[in-house]
Amino acid sequence: MSELPLNDAITESTTAIQVRNLCFNYGHRRVLNNINIDIPQNSISAIIGPSGQGKSSFLFALNRLWEEIPGSRVSGQVRIRFDNHLVDIDSPDCDLYELRRHVGLVFQAPNPLPMSIWKNIAFPLRLAGKKNKTEIDNRVEEALKQAFLWEEVRERLRDDARHLSGGQQQRLCIARALILEPNILLLDEPTSSLDPRACETIERLLIELQTSRTLVMVSHYQDQVQRIASHTFQLADGTLQPL
Amino acid sequence: MNQCFEKIVIAWCWLSTFLLITAVGVVIGFLVIKGGSALNLKLIFGDTAPLDALLLRRAVFDGLFPAIIGTLLLVLLAILMAAPVGILTGIYMAEYASLSVKKRFGFFFDILAGLPSIVVGLFGLAIVIFLHKYISAHVYPCLFLSAMTLAFLVLPYLIRSTQGALEALPNTIRRTAPALGASRVQNLFLILLPRARDGILNGVILSIGRCAEDTAVIMLTGAVAMAGVPRSVFENYEALPFYIYYISSQYADQQELLSGYAAAIILLCLCGLLFMSALYVNYNFRRGAMNRV
Amino acid sequence: MRMFERSFEKILFTAALLSASITLLIFIFMLVLGLPLFREGLFWDLLSDPWMPQQGLYGIYPMIISTMSIAFLGFLFAFPLSIGVAIFINGLAPGRIGSYVNTAVRLMTGIPTVVYGFVGIFLLIPLMRTILQGGSGMCVLSAALILAVVIAPTMILFFISSFKSVPNAYLRSATALGATPIQKLLYIVVPSSWNGILTGCVLALGRAMGDTMIALMLAGNAVAAPDGIASAARALTAHIALVIAADVNSMAFKSIFACGIVLYVLTAFFTAVLRLTTSRRAAS
Repeated sequence: MSELPLNDAITESTTAIQVRNLCFNYGHRRVLNNINIDIPQNSISAIIGPSGQGKSSFLFALNRLWEEIPGSRVSGQVRIRFDNHLVDIDSPDCDLYELRRHVGLVFQAPNPLPMSIWKNIAFPLRLAGKKNKTEIDNRVEEALKQAFLWEEVRERLRDDARHLSGGQQQRLCIARALILEPNILLLDEPTSSLDPRACETIERLLIELQTSRTLVMVSHYQDQVQRIASHTFQLADGTLQPL
Repeated sequence: MNQCFEKIVIAWCWLSTFLLITAVGVVIGFLVIKGGSALNLKLIFGDTAPLDALLLRRAVFDGLFPAIIGTLLLVLLAILMAAPVGILTGIYMAEYASLSVKKRFGFFFDILAGLPSIVVGLFGLAIVIFLHKYISAHVYPCLFLSAMTLAFLVLPYLIRSTQGALEALPNTIRRTAPALGASRVQNLFLILLPRARDGILNGVILSIGRCAEDTAVIMLTGAVAMAGVPRSVFENYEALPFYIYYISSQYADQQELLSGYAAAIILLCLCGLLFMSALYVNYNFRRGAMNRV
Repeated sequence: MRMFERSFEKILFTAALLSASITLLIFIFMLVLGLPLFREGLFWDLLSDPWMPQQGLYGIYPMIISTMSIAFLGFLFAFPLSIGVAIFINGLAPGRIGSYVNTAVRLMTGIPTVVYGFVGIFLLIPLMRTILQGGSGMCVLSAALILAVVIAPTMILFFISSFKSVPNAYLRSATALGATPIQKLLYIVVPSSWNGILTGCVLALGRAMGDTMIALMLAGNAVAAPDGIASAARALTAHIALVIAADVNSMAFKSIFACGIVLYVLTAFFTAVLRLTTSRRAAS
């Protein structure tokens, strides 16, 4: 690891994500310009700003999902806390697919896979090679409980996930992202396609989750941010400033 | 989910791609190696001077010239017969047909498209027999009847590509002219058809290729091994695909076998050229559609 | 103006009617020319008798068996090959290799079958002779191998267009969960495309049964039903091509119209099945 300036060293022990000189180009457009921030552990950090300015792009830089988007170019350094020390996500020691399993991402519109509820949640486990059915069953139940969805679906785990309501589907996606027990959960406007009641449930869920993980949430609802975020960053002109 | 299984699948995908590409490469390579040396003017024109042959002053006996001309004439006639009917039908299906008519006719066209070419050839032969019996004893299998039968063969391709090209036009374009007072026919000729032109052209080119390569139909309706350049469309004729088939079982000596290889190369090049131009037209159609919309 | 519109529409309808009637006419002509077979109640015999003209047996049963054998065997070879190449083009191939292979496959669909047959005779058959140690080398297996190469490109292109229609949302969520490309293909794309894959298979099988030149040039054309993939066989399509040379008024000649009817009915059946399954898929 390279030498860090003194004030970095002080906050480093509680930093979950450290971003240095991050630039994101999409085609000829520079979307993010020299971002330098530290995101603290076990809290909800909100990214706010006008639409289309690059908030989602910032999230995609954190789990290297930008590599799947043609025309994207990213430079700079992102280090994420794994096993108590910060690891550069671009380094050869960091496996791309392991990274994505440890940094969960929930998209704006719920996107259940074309499978049953149970299979949806179990999918990441099976991707990771787990085969023990009892273990998988237990972890599916655990994840659904963490996502406040267990009681509503326990009787119909074999039903197609696409038959759930919007709010339920979004909680399903959160449960699916949680099952591999990621330390960091990225959420791209998680409630923007939901009705107020579903919204409220998800907000309660996020507050609960932050005690054990780090959440980075993109939102354009000022009131939501004031309600649940402990740290807020504003995206303006491609740079991210703490508020 | 098995890492082992996934690795096997990956290996199989690479292997199957390699196998397929190699198989086709071997086919083409084999032809080129065996027949490339025979590709020269003598192969095409035999002992006759090329100019004499081209101006039809003298017949060619030992060359592929009659077969090449036969194929070209066949394609020309067949497309002349099929294109108007096919394109008009396609327009009808896309723009004027009611849903139930579309379904019923669509079913018929699908059957026609799926029929083995020999069955269509059999139909052509049946027509010859019928005409011979009931209309005139002078009716025999000939270039004209072969071309007509080929027209039947490619009709569904023309219908489908025209219908598809027109149906793919976005609704916004469809409604612009009528909103300004244009009639249906005006909309069709001034707006829709020009936009669909490339898609229709694609269908025509593919049909040309189909006519050029087909053997089964022409075998039954007038292609023979030795006929020279036909003086009228009501005579027997030669064609490249039939020549290749004929040589494969009836070659008399090494020279004839070589000419078979060379004929295969020529036919392959012809079809390849047609296909590449279809791809090119298709590519432009796609690009144009993106720019215009 | 109105009159022009009306007459133009009439012209269009006439063209469409003409085209549709051709399909019907084909069937009618087959029926009419094969009429003697029906009159004497021979049609069902034709479907079960062997072909022995000297004994007055004009059965096409061996040809039906041969067509099925060659077509199914060819399909059996082509299907795994096509799935493999389709998966390769649609996500496994690095960089631009995928699109080059795609273009190559599209060009392959334009290669004339007679050319494949020609190369098959002079390249594959001698090879088969040595491998099978005896016989002419012309058999079900030879025809099936080349047939597989003929029908594979169309199947591949069909599979790829099915793969491409899987919604992007599924792929994005799988990517975010850390799925590798092959995992996405195996567990999301392919399972979601079963309908398209099935349709492609039915289409390919239909094409395999309707092929003439490959069967004619490579399968040996023996009149007896094949008793193994190494024996010679005569497909329905090849049979038609070979019996054409017979006397027009003979029963032998008329029997080929029975072949035509069988092939026609098969095609109509396949087409109907396809239309039903695709319309059901579109409805859901």
